[in-house]
Amino acid sequence: MNYGHPLEFGTFVTPTGEDAVALARRSEELGYDLVTFQDHPYQPAFHDTWTLMSWVAGQTERIHIAANVLNVPLRQPAVLARAAASLDLLSGGRFDLALGAGAFWDAIEAMGGRRLEPGEAVDALSEAIDIIRGLLDAGEPDPLRFDGEHHKLDGAERGPLPRHHIPIWLGAHKRRMLRLLGRKADGWMVTAGYLKPGEFRAGNKIIDEAATEAGRDPAEIRRMLNIGGTFTDQRQGFLQGPPEAWVDDLLPLVVEDGVGTFILMSDDAATLERFARDVAPALRAAVDRALPAPLPTGSFRSAAVRAKRRDGVDYDGVPRSLAELAVEPGDIDFSRVRSNYLRGGNPGIVLRPRSTAEVAEALAFARRHPDLPMGVRSGGHGVSGRSTNDGGIVIDLGFLDGVEVLDEATRRVRIGPGARWKQVAAALEPYGWALSSGDYGGVGVGGLATAGGIGFLGRKHGLTIDHLRAVEMVLADGSTVRASGTENADLFWAVRGAGANFGIVTSFEFEVDEVGEVGWAQLGFVASDTSGFLRRFGEVASSAPRDTTAFLVMGPPRRGQPAVAQLYGMVDSGDPDTVIAQLQPFARMAPMFQQQVVIAPYAAVMGMAPDAEHQGRGEPISRSAFIREITPEFADAAERLLHSGVVFFFQLRTVGGAVADVDPDATAYAHRDAGFSVVAMGVDRERLDRLWDGLSEHFDGLYLSFETDQRPERVADAFPPRTLGRLRELKGRYDPDNVFRDNFNIRPLTGGEES
Amino acid sequence: MTDTDYGHDLLFGTFVTPVNQPATQAVDLAVVSDRAGLDLVTFQDHPYQPRFHDTWTLMSYAASRTSQIHVSGNVLNLPLRQPAVLARSAASLDVLSGGRLELGIGAGGFWDAIAAMGGRRLSPGQAVEALEEAITVIREVWAADRPGPVRVDGKYYRVHGAKRGPKPPHDIGIWVGAYKPRMLRLIGRVADGWLPSLAYLPGGPADLAELNRHIDGAAAGAGRDPAQVRRLLNVGGQFAPTGRAFLDGPAEQWAEDLAGLTLEYGISGFVLATDDPYTIELFAAEVAPATRELVAAERGATAPVGVRPA
Ligand SMILES: Cc1cc2nc3c(=O)[nH]c(=O)nc-3n(C[C@H](O)[C@H](O)[C@H](O)COP(=O)(O)OP(=O)(O)OC[C@H]3O[C@@H](n4cnc5c(N)ncnc54)[C@H](O)[C@@H]3O)c2cc1C
Repeated sequence: MNYGHPLEFGTFVTPTGEDAVALARRSEELGYDLVTFQDHPYQPAFHDTWTLMSWVAGQTERIHIAANVLNVPLRQPAVLARAAASLDLLSGGRFDLALGAGAFWDAIEAMGGRRLEPGEAVDALSEAIDIIRGLLDAGEPDPLRFDGEHHKLDGAERGPLPRHHIPIWLGAHKRRMLRLLGRKADGWMVTAGYLKPGEFRAGNKIIDEAATEAGRDPAEIRRMLNIGGTFTDQRQGFLQGPPEAWVDDLLPLVVEDGVGTFILMSDDAATLERFARDVAPALRAAVDRALPAPLPTGSFRSAAVRAKRRDGVDYDGVPRSLAELAVEPGDIDFSRVRSNYLRGGNPGIVLRPRSTAEVAEALAFARRHPDLPMGVRSGGHGVSGRSTNDGGIVIDLGFLDGVEVLDEATRRVRIGPGARWKQVAAALEPYGWALSSGDYGGVGVGGLATAGGIGFLGRKHGLTIDHLRAVEMVLADGSTVRASGTENADLFWAVRGAGANFGIVTSFEFEVDEVGEVGWAQLGFVASDTSGFLRRFGEVASSAPRDTTAFLVMGPPRRGQPAVAQLYGMVDSGDPDTVIAQLQPFARMAPMFQQQVVIAPYAAVMGMAPDAEHQGRGEPISRSAFIREITPEFADAAERLLHSGVVFFFQLRTVGGAVADVDPDATAYAHRDAGFSVVAMGVDRERLDRLWDGLSEHFDGLYLSFETDQRPERVADAFPPRTLGRLRELKGRYDPDNVFRDNFNIRPLTGGEES
Repeated sequence: MTDTDYGHDLLFGTFVTPVNQPATQAVDLAVVSDRAGLDLVTFQDHPYQPRFHDTWTLMSYAASRTSQIHVSGNVLNLPLRQPAVLARSAASLDVLSGGRLELGIGAGGFWDAIAAMGGRRLSPGQAVEALEEAITVIREVWAADRPGPVRVDGKYYRVHGAKRGPKPPHDIGIWVGAYKPRMLRLIGRVADGWLPSLAYLPGGPADLAELNRHIDGAAAGAGRDPAQVRRLLNVGGQFAPTGRAFLDGPAEQWAEDLAGLTLEYGISGFVLATDDPYTIELFAAEVAPATRELVAAERGATAPVGVRPA
């Protein structure tokens, strides 16, 4: 029988000299899926296999690498687990773990290893597998304790999480090993030359029975056969003959005995080439003809993975195009995609489309689940936007991250929603261009460029959305439209400030600015007189020339220490004298305990955000408001807020300047007359709301991106009446079923209502 | 040359944090160090720390992605690495890299974490003995030309009848990280280098004199020239427009600070702890040549160089 694994081919290269590396590279060039090396640490004629595999990983790009098989008695299982994860991470998910119980006990003992009886060796290997799997299961919170006959772990920290699910394959012949394999492993590796006729089939039977007894599907176990042979003109025996004869010899092994991987044992480049060219493709074709259905190509989800599925998600109905990259709770990538920067998540499935058409398919899939939450995620830095959720569907646009110059003369650039602003800045820098984004390069394009984009170049160059010239988006009904000043102009109006309510933007076209090097300042102030300091900041920041935009961050004063404030400011000038001149008034606001001023590309400032995976936990609690100016009353109120202990992060972002030049009706971002965007974050929602609500007399609307409050009034704070009326009407037109509701939901205006 | 300058050529290197997220950050910094023309890139080894790469894997991979620079652990955790296997792995990596491996090694320190990983818990005294045995095993395995198999019947490691080889293509330096007299004496007897961190010296650079004396005394006692032990030092610092403190100032000041360490305490390897590409480039482009010049000028003025570099 065949177990339904896609057919793969590997090589088995002797680990000696330079040739081993050359043959590994050749294997990759020839299209093999896998290169393997035997491991005999007691054999000085061979390379150390681990070192060789790591080296080869550095010299190849695509091919998977494995031992055939690793000598576990001479390798410490816990260290082996971490080393395996490392090699997998470094190689981009190309390392597979093939283990053996050990055989040459004299040699193992001579090296300082412990001699075991064959039965003991199987038990020791079984323990090693548990340890390796336990350590690689980085999602488990508790340290790993293991009290075995052969190995003991006394609370080792788990991790790291490998790049891909590292399969564990075993080299096995005898019944005990085969039974272990059936219980615990993902693949069987065996050498054809060592098998007597019928032994392979008998081995499969033992494995299948053991797997079934352990509640596993035997199909989870890949069957891998090491083969050797010679190409000759005339058929002389098994794998001794022309390529057609090889195909004839191998075909029944696939169709009747379920071999999923053939590993060719040869150090002869010509043989490797001939097999790759004349046998592998012909065998694939012959297998497809012989089997009732073609072998699948996607990933195979084991019973353990399927057990973690959530209710209500039609996992088996995921469109084929999306299935391969979709991530569900049991998948190894889940911990990488479940959460956001500030928010923990536990979605039922994450779909990762690679094109606009796939976005439409993902949306159609999501719409078949009207009762589940749906999140649209670009960079995962949403605060107001619930782009991850619990048990629902996430459409993750991370793969749509291109940055492409469309026209150099007009500085027209197309950017995918999944790009991060640091990437955008880095791509524009060589042209001497920049696009004002926000204060953090890790933020994604999709969320920010549909809401506003209050950034460090804002007072000179306006909001990010002010540079938007066109978008392509997928609407609720699945159609793909373009919107610009001349096409679907009302939609284009809505997208610039309330885009999340209208569809999924799949590409943005911007006209970017010429920006050379900039002055970048980080100034630390002693702000003991917090209120006075904030007032002075308000005056200086709003009266500064437009080339200067400053943001201020404060936290609660630490016990026994004066309050401090951190200013982050940018001057759109590469001239040190200008930069210093513009910063002088800020420097005079209060005593400074720290100052750093550099002239650097905008891209360097954005580049300071690290490339880390999101590991957010819990829910952010954040409130947001616009104020026209920092009045003495507001400054006093802010000081009280900071002393309340309720707020751990308080920020003022200066707007005005070019932002205010734009007509409030020109985009759905209407609060053009604001002087500052204010943000406060806390840990206690009720207490923060109570304090913040009490400040409302100072506020004049809010910037939705920093608001987590979901009371309906907030929508009216974000959008003044005229704007909101128009948005509701358009919502009724473009998204009457209210599909897009994860971020400041605007209720669609239905026919019967007064607008 | 002053009394405690052992006359070695100077080496400059980096001490890069082996973080595994982003996965290739440490490798990228090794590549930066290599392109900048540094002599050495090193990584700490804490196999019980899941936020770090496995250092052996990282070293092998990083060596594979670089072309001139030598790689070393800083320092390898012996208790979790089997010495005979380590010896062959080291030889292998030296072969693959064309002689670019150095073996920084330590006796182990965090015994709870080592035991948690299934390693054997040793007392500090036992750990020193175990390290000495391991060094014997490693040297025996590398001594491919000697007759008969390896026979080391140690208290901690018993390697009995293992084949010798492969022979590393270059003389791999065995560099030991240590601070206590017993370890320092071991270094004097059997190691090729000493690799402490300046930050761990409570009295700062001045402590080096006393620590050197332990090594020198033990070397002489074992009939070795103290100059057979290279003195390396992990240092940290920052570049600033004006001099503020030791290794906190402009590149010229760094060069003076480091040259002082060479001329006064015989330090001939400077390993800078940094994960910043710009700092690495500045260290290579400005500090290394200036330090070499200062040292050469001073050595030329005082005495001819009389010892072979280790
Ligand atoms: C550390 C940090 C700093 C910040 N600094 C600034 C700043 O200086 N200035 C500023 O203006 N904002 C700033 N923000 C706010 C930020 O702009 C918003 O949170 C934004 O939504 C994040 O975009 P994202 O793509 O990373 O988020 P995601 O979490 O991916 O998306 C957030 C929401 O945006 C919507 N969305 C995402 N992609 C699309 C799309 N392709 N089409 C339609 N809707 C979409 C969805 O409703 C989604 O829930 C900051 C946020 C953080 C966490």
